[in-house]
Amino acid sequence: MTALLTVDDLKVDIKTRSGTLHAVRGLSFTVNAGETLCIVGESGCGKSITSLALMGLLPRTAQRSAARLRFGDTDLTDARHARKVRGNDMVMIFQEPMTALNPAFPIGDQLTEAYLYHKGGTKAAARARAIEMLDLVGIGSPAERLSQFPHQLSGGLRQRVMIAMALMTDPKLLIADEPTTALDVTIQAQILRLLRDLQQKLGIAVIFITHDLGLVSRIADRVMVMYAGAMVEEGTAAEIFGAPRHPYTRALIDCIPQPGKTERGAPLGTIAGVVPSLIGTVQGCAFRTRCAFARTDCAASVPERAEGSHRWICIHADHPARMTETA
Amino acid sequence: MGIYLAKRIGLAVLVALFVSILAFGLLRLQGNAATALAGEGASPQDIAIIVETYGLDRPLVVQYATWLGNALTGDFGTSYFFKRPVAELIVSKVGNTVTLAVLSLGIALALSIPLGVLAAVYSGSWIDRVCSLISLMGQALPSFFLALCLVMVFAIQLRMFPASGTGSWQHFVLPAVTLGYYITPPFMRLVRAGMIDALSNDYVRTARAKGLPAHRVVLKHALRNALVPVVGLVTVQLGLLIGGSVVIESIFALDGLGYLAYQSISYRDFPVLQAVVLLLSLVYVVLTLLSDIVNAWLDPRLRVS
Repeated sequence: MTALLTVDDLKVDIKTRSGTLHAVRGLSFTVNAGETLCIVGESGCGKSITSLALMGLLPRTAQRSAARLRFGDTDLTDARHARKVRGNDMVMIFQEPMTALNPAFPIGDQLTEAYLYHKGGTKAAARARAIEMLDLVGIGSPAERLSQFPHQLSGGLRQRVMIAMALMTDPKLLIADEPTTALDVTIQAQILRLLRDLQQKLGIAVIFITHDLGLVSRIADRVMVMYAGAMVEEGTAAEIFGAPRHPYTRALIDCIPQPGKTERGAPLGTIAGVVPSLIGTVQGCAFRTRCAFARTDCAASVPERAEGSHRWICIHADHPARMTETA
Repeated sequence: MGIYLAKRIGLAVLVALFVSILAFGLLRLQGNAATALAGEGASPQDIAIIVETYGLDRPLVVQYATWLGNALTGDFGTSYFFKRPVAELIVSKVGNTVTLAVLSLGIALALSIPLGVLAAVYSGSWIDRVCSLISLMGQALPSFFLALCLVMVFAIQLRMFPASGTGSWQHFVLPAVTLGYYITPPFMRLVRAGMIDALSNDYVRTARAKGLPAHRVVLKHALRNALVPVVGLVTVQLGLLIGGSVVIESIFALDGLGYLAYQSISYRDFPVLQAVVLLLSLVYVVLTLLSDIVNAWLDPRLRVS
């Protein structure tokens, strides 16, 4: 498989009053054509910042640097080249469908805008494409919808419009930043099914950002777990869920309530402690203050371990609990 | 949209009626209308004649109905001072005032929108501070002082524009610049605040995610939303400009409505004063109605409520 997106040593620094916040601390990964990569982690682990950094949408206070940031043959660190890819081959949908559409323009205008800009052609052709895309994402009577304004649509419909808008230019990579978090549970399931169907039908690669591991198990080809701005473990969905090597991954998985297994009325699983401050440098493993298996040498530099496509960063060669189970 | 319009127009008519009652009551509020009209040192006979001429002994409702009926047909009576029909007097002045107001507003918008957008896009930087300073000077300088400076430079030194009078379009340039610059700060502040707010919105991020060039994101997606409150201010300011350019009109001897209002107060010219008050209030009512309609077009969410 060919790498569609190559990220090498991505860093994002945000200047704050109390010092420089290292929101993303040297992230490296690839996304292959047609696959779904899920980036998981708690709030504040840097997963959304990562997606914005890839798209070049960081706020002005944030500084991005990377040894390599390539989309196919395009160097994304060059702003001029990046803009031709952004909104064209590489598109993004967001967490808040209620506010992501401009209230002042009919959705037809917003749907056709990027298409006309990147692909050119007549307004009639763009309109026809918009109708086709609205139909594809399961919106009824698409032609009439074009003249409607965002406030006339429900949250679920707006997220469908956002997806249709992203698909207008026939992209190769879709970045979805918690696209279902703001929606009702039933609508969440619909949108998720829609994204999975579209991904299979159109063969586009998806970076799916979420904090919901239960959801990850349903859609991911590969999973990257992030903690405190860095990768702690990455592997195929089977590797991550079947044989998690990092204590943090294992703790996250243990927090998923499971029907039949999780005791009714019992408190849900949690990970004690809070995410460390990312201001200044983090020495050693950032998770060690919350880790049940931490050793004193966790404060020193921690090795990156690999087994085929499975990578993790931990002092332990295998998950410590698993080692004791099997021993 | 139809129901929305009907509601707004209905409300405007009600307000206009109420205003007409106030304008009518103006004369009666200060006590005996006949003595007020007759002025100081009038004999009882004079007052009796006035009572009879103006029908002041009739019930108030009848008087109001007659006055309103006449006003609706354009008959506001005759000016005591100018000895001309009030309607004719107003018609001869209103054009100048409206021209001045519209020109000033145009200048204010042409200054404040680019300044506000620049200040918002580069908020916190030196560009922001320079833009804010330019606009703040308009507020800090008294308008008569700026008027005199402009006259000194452009009328006396450079002889580009006349210093006073109403004859040609050149006569309007200096007064319009003075007034326009004077009302720039509130517009600029509103545009700047609106743009800063709009630029931080999710839909601007969506527009940027489309790979659109920066000017399209700023001038289309953000500015359109930032202009909604500006429309409201335009109507308020236009009302103020039409009613309140007394100072500028007198400095430049511009023969407009503001100057007429000032004169009618000093000469106790009540028919003129009543007509001017009614007219200026109606200007407000109509402008508010217009701003509601324009806002509904700019912000489609308003159309349903």
